[in-house]
Amino acid sequence: MDFNLENPLGNFHDLPSEALPSLFLIESDHIPPLHYCQTLKASDFDISVRRNVVSLISQLSCTFDPVLPYLAINYLDRFLANQGILQPKPWANKLLAIACFSLAAKMLKAEYSATDVQVLLNHGDGGVIFETQTVQRMEGIVLGALQWRMRSITPFSFIPFFVNLFRLKDPAFRQVLKDRASEIILKSQREIKVLEFKPSVVAASALLYASHELFPFQYPCFLGAISDCSYVNKDIAKEEYESVLNINSTSDTPVNVLDEHFLSLESEKTNGVIQEQEFKRRKIADYGNKRTVPFSHFHQC
Amino acid sequence: MEKYEKLEKVGEGTYGKVYKAREKASGNVVALKKTRLEMDEEGVPPTALREVSLLQLLSQSIYIVRLLSVEHVDKVPKAQKASANPLTKPILYLVFEYLDTDLKKFIDSHRKGPNPRPLPPQLVQSFLFQLCKGVAHCHSHGVLHRDLKPQNLLLDQQKGILKIADLGLGRAFTVPLKSYTHEIVTLWYRAPEVLLGSTHYSTGVDIWSVGCIFAEMVKRQALFPGDSEFQQLIHIFKMLGTPTEDQWPGVTSLRDWHVYPRWEPQSLARNVPTLGPDGVDLLSKMLKYNPSERISAKAALDHPYFDSLDKSQF
Repeated sequence: MDFNLENPLGNFHDLPSEALPSLFLIESDHIPPLHYCQTLKASDFDISVRRNVVSLISQLSCTFDPVLPYLAINYLDRFLANQGILQPKPWANKLLAIACFSLAAKMLKAEYSATDVQVLLNHGDGGVIFETQTVQRMEGIVLGALQWRMRSITPFSFIPFFVNLFRLKDPAFRQVLKDRASEIILKSQREIKVLEFKPSVVAASALLYASHELFPFQYPCFLGAISDCSYVNKDIAKEEYESVLNINSTSDTPVNVLDEHFLSLESEKTNGVIQEQEFKRRKIADYGNKRTVPFSHFHQC
Repeated sequence: MEKYEKLEKVGEGTYGKVYKAREKASGNVVALKKTRLEMDEEGVPPTALREVSLLQLLSQSIYIVRLLSVEHVDKVPKAQKASANPLTKPILYLVFEYLDTDLKKFIDSHRKGPNPRPLPPQLVQSFLFQLCKGVAHCHSHGVLHRDLKPQNLLLDQQKGILKIADLGLGRAFTVPLKSYTHEIVTLWYRAPEVLLGSTHYSTGVDIWSVGCIFAEMVKRQALFPGDSEFQQLIHIFKMLGTPTEDQWPGVTSLRDWHVYPRWEPQSLARNVPTLGPDGVDLLSKMLKYNPSERISAKAALDHPYFDSLDKSQF
């Protein structure tokens, strides 16, 4: 009954193929509804609360696997979408951050000490320390709002499936592609815009983005494999570009090459002849722009 | 919990009391399963978290009783009511869809009462197919049921739908040997490897139970009605023969293996005389001694026994 983000169902073997269609069917239960994004964007206050809790969660989890804060922030977004901001107070943000963090830690079987966690948050400002019962009650409120759907279906759940579609023979290549896509997914969570997309769409676009970086020659092939996949909505291809585009154009690294990149990819589809050359040229150009954000960048501790 | 109005207690499930209730806002009838959460100093136990959330995912299948909601209540015990800072007892209500009957009551109504009659063969076929679908769904998600029995299979009689209940809460809510009413947990559907003390059992335990349930639908009485673990094994051995190392490598090294009289296998067809040859073949594949030779739920769905079933309806 274990749980990990690549395999939310917790079965003892790899995810069996027959379980996959159900993931596509229910992924929408595990993301905040569309209006959440609009509400957030409409209010500076809401955005600042989310930013503050996200940063607290990152502080709490700086010594853990980055999937832990990822899961905790998924809970946070779904909670905020369902309940709104309960108490516009700094202590309330802290309590919410602790509850989301501890629930994620329990789901992922991460060892942590409740007291250490609080000490970490209060480092330097001598803030409030919550009683165990208070934290437990908050956990209960979060669980209730999320209807105990704690096995979040995230983009990570779709990565092994999509990677299999690419038919990469060398396991090392598969790994490097997975790793890069995972990095992109982790990074993308800070962008509110990404919340508008289904997890499978985010996964597909992260993989396409990574494969374009790493295996530009095979990229058209990968793109074809994903668009041919029966579970993927045919209209989504365009969204994918847009989502990737937005993640990167608004982030703090200069990646504007990407805009042209993906936009021109669209037009290249009609002109296959120059494609290969174009890719070569771009690849060289890409190396000139260091566009990957070091991972540590978004651990703000 | 003010959202629900308890109508009556309908049973004692493996893990606690079950109530029939009405959701006040919608008027819908639901089943409330009350479960005490054993809290530790770290709050909600991680096992409970992982298991209830798994139930949430599994209940998406139409062959599994749907979990509609989870309600977490902190109950203040009477002794604590006067206290300003009472110690509360956390209770978890799992709210399921309500179905009016179960397979045990359904079989009983065909065996006794004013109009005893066999279950229509098409219905047996359809119920078994739905049962295999549900079990295949659980197994594909890495979940064993471990306690499949007619009481746990709920029926919507009008629509002819069968759904699996009482599923998957394996570790957070430890399976008691006796249920809360001190009614002894039934052994009739328990696989021989479990009875013999094997600890590394797998999906085969559920398939064995499915086989026993299949035969019971046809016979209208339990196939192996043992009243102790020893008796249960004797019932099985008398019908299927005492297992040998040839048939089932490793059986004599299982923890609770003893030397038993050597019974010869009887004809399975004679024990379920109204079942056709395809049905007998499927049943025999579900009741193989060696768990690794037992048919899987998924493979069972493609067995010729179901050829005459209109599968498009599922």
